[in-house]
Amino acid sequence: MPKNHGLRILIATVRVPFVNGGAEIHAAGLCQALREAGHQAEIIAIPFKWYPPERILDQMLACRLLDLSETVGVAVDRLIGLKFPAYLIPHPRKVIWLLHQHRQAYDLWQHPLNDLHRYPNGDDVRAAIHRADRELIPQAVHVFANSRNVAGRLERFCGVQAAPLYHPPRDAALFHTRPGEDFLYFPSRINPLKRQDLVLEALAQTRLPVKVYFSGSAEEAAVERRCLELARKSGCADRVQWLGPVSEEKKRDLYARSLGVLFPPIDEDYGYIALEAMLARKPVITCTDSGGPLEFVIQRQTGIVADPTPEALAAAMDNLWEDRERARQWGEAGRQRYDDLHIDWSHVVEKLLA
Amino acid sequence: MKVLVVTSGVPFIRGGAEILADNLCQALSAAGHAAELIFIPFKHYPPSRIPDHMLACRLLDLTETCGVRIDRVVGLKFPAYLIPHPNKVIWLLHQHRTAYELWDHPMAGDLIHHPDGPVIREAIRQADRELIPEAKAVYTLSENVSDRLRRFCGIAGEPLYNPPAHASLFHNNSAGDYFFFPSRVTGVKRQLLVIEALARCQEKTLVRFAGEADSPRELAACVDAIRQLKVEDRVEWLGWISDEQKRELYANCLGVVFPPVDEDYGYITLEAMLSSKPVITCSDSGGPLEFVVDRETGLVAEPSPESLAQAMNALWAGRRGAAAMGEAGRARYADLKICWENVVEKLLC
Repeated sequence: MPKNHGLRILIATVRVPFVNGGAEIHAAGLCQALREAGHQAEIIAIPFKWYPPERILDQMLACRLLDLSETVGVAVDRLIGLKFPAYLIPHPRKVIWLLHQHRQAYDLWQHPLNDLHRYPNGDDVRAAIHRADRELIPQAVHVFANSRNVAGRLERFCGVQAAPLYHPPRDAALFHTRPGEDFLYFPSRINPLKRQDLVLEALAQTRLPVKVYFSGSAEEAAVERRCLELARKSGCADRVQWLGPVSEEKKRDLYARSLGVLFPPIDEDYGYIALEAMLARKPVITCTDSGGPLEFVIQRQTGIVADPTPEALAAAMDNLWEDRERARQWGEAGRQRYDDLHIDWSHVVEKLLA
Repeated sequence: MKVLVVTSGVPFIRGGAEILADNLCQALSAAGHAAELIFIPFKHYPPSRIPDHMLACRLLDLTETCGVRIDRVVGLKFPAYLIPHPNKVIWLLHQHRTAYELWDHPMAGDLIHHPDGPVIREAIRQADRELIPEAKAVYTLSENVSDRLRRFCGIAGEPLYNPPAHASLFHNNSAGDYFFFPSRVTGVKRQLLVIEALARCQEKTLVRFAGEADSPRELAACVDAIRQLKVEDRVEWLGWISDEQKRELYANCLGVVFPPVDEDYGYITLEAMLSSKPVITCSDSGGPLEFVVDRETGLVAEPSPESLAQAMNALWAGRRGAAAMGEAGRARYADLKICWENVVEKLLC
């Protein structure tokens, strides 16, 4: 074992067994960055199951009962809490970098996909989550958030302030650019929250023969079927390419060759896709209610922020399609903005350990 | 099947149990199952933290993930094996040993020194007695671990042996002029006992020690003893070595010395057998005694410098006999059918 003079740092997060998503990539990226900076870092991932609602309280308590203050007599210098309820684990030198709270108890409480409020004890559980967050998050020495959007929710619902701290997408250095070809690119999981359906409706209303390439895996086959049907019915199927899941390399190639990137989700926490587009020097079309991407896209400088309607989105797509040179310039400006924002892991490590 | 392997441990410390957990996950995947490791951090001091972590484990819910059933949970270490699950199998690596056989151990005992030690000990024992039997089946790391479970908790557990990492890479080359003792340098492995024995061995006897010291104090104790007993020329102190170096040192030694105090299992015995080498161990060494057949595959000495020196002298003088014992050890390993396929089959049946 190499001798290590850095800090001993634990990253506390939760995970749902057999599910691997952005949060896992985020934790792994942070762990690697800490090690590259000369520290000892490990991930502690507590399993989480959010149903029935009383299980949430059990797992909050379980986290409070763990002791990560030291290991065999040697202090753990820093605990970095990422996800609920793992960020509740006590530690005298805890920093929270909030990926998101338990959204079903907050901004998604009224959301049709949420079921917490349908349980008889849903209100009580929500109140307990709110109270724990309000009282225990401020125990951390510093509180950062994944994005301004996440920080905004924390302040709105809990009255707790957090500084946004951005981090790069995976393999940021591998993104590259090429001259824009005749398609807009929409890479994302096929999911109602990402609104592939809205883009298809918009496509049916464009003046120009705009083409869109979609890539990403569908969590539910029904959602994908509905999208394909929508394309067929609106008569724009010949202007749609439905690529399904693609490799990371293929994805970067599609970014590089696209004319611009479409990313109009509902209230995204952060949005790697906007950042990846900027890295590939492409303009981004997003929506006024898309959350995270709005922190990065500057209206008519690095992309277009449209109203979340098929008409407005169609106009934005036509806009990029008809002026290729301007689209290229906005893409270049997006890359410049990415560089100006200091989105890199060494900056993240510096902030978290300050 | 969707299988979760659950274990506990201390962050930043990676030992045999962590390697075993990883190897088990790999073996499950190789057999076509979806397997993941759940690691619950554990801090055992002050003693009141122990019930906290036991409770934390009881509060976790691994029955399903996103509405899909988890078919099997395999519990390895305390307190993670207490996590409830309708289809749990325990493969007990060890219980919380200072609440059991190490309670009043002069070096290892810790709970015994705390005012609330006896209460916590009883809580641990009660949880084990009541909750281990919740599992559909209870296997253990070794006969030694089964014995303790039976003796202290009245619970039967079947020993289920697992191979050392990279078992197929061990080999035999020649019988060189040295004994090999690879192990963490720490009190319970008894490097000191071997150093004391060396002072009583015939002149040319050489022992090559490999392994990192748990603490600078442990290392200093050995270095001091070597100097005081004037056995500098009979000792080679290698410290950390790579796995490949380790296999070469096995392949070229005369025999392996492994005299720990009540070892749970003892990969070192198995690695020696895979390398066709005789093993010298002690009558109180625990796990190794399940594998070493006295005078057939090695020598079982009393845990005294005199007895150990006698065993070392016997192998040193009788090299042909040593080689034959080594071959018999290799044959015994094969007879025991120690392989991951067997482990996976038992744990999932």
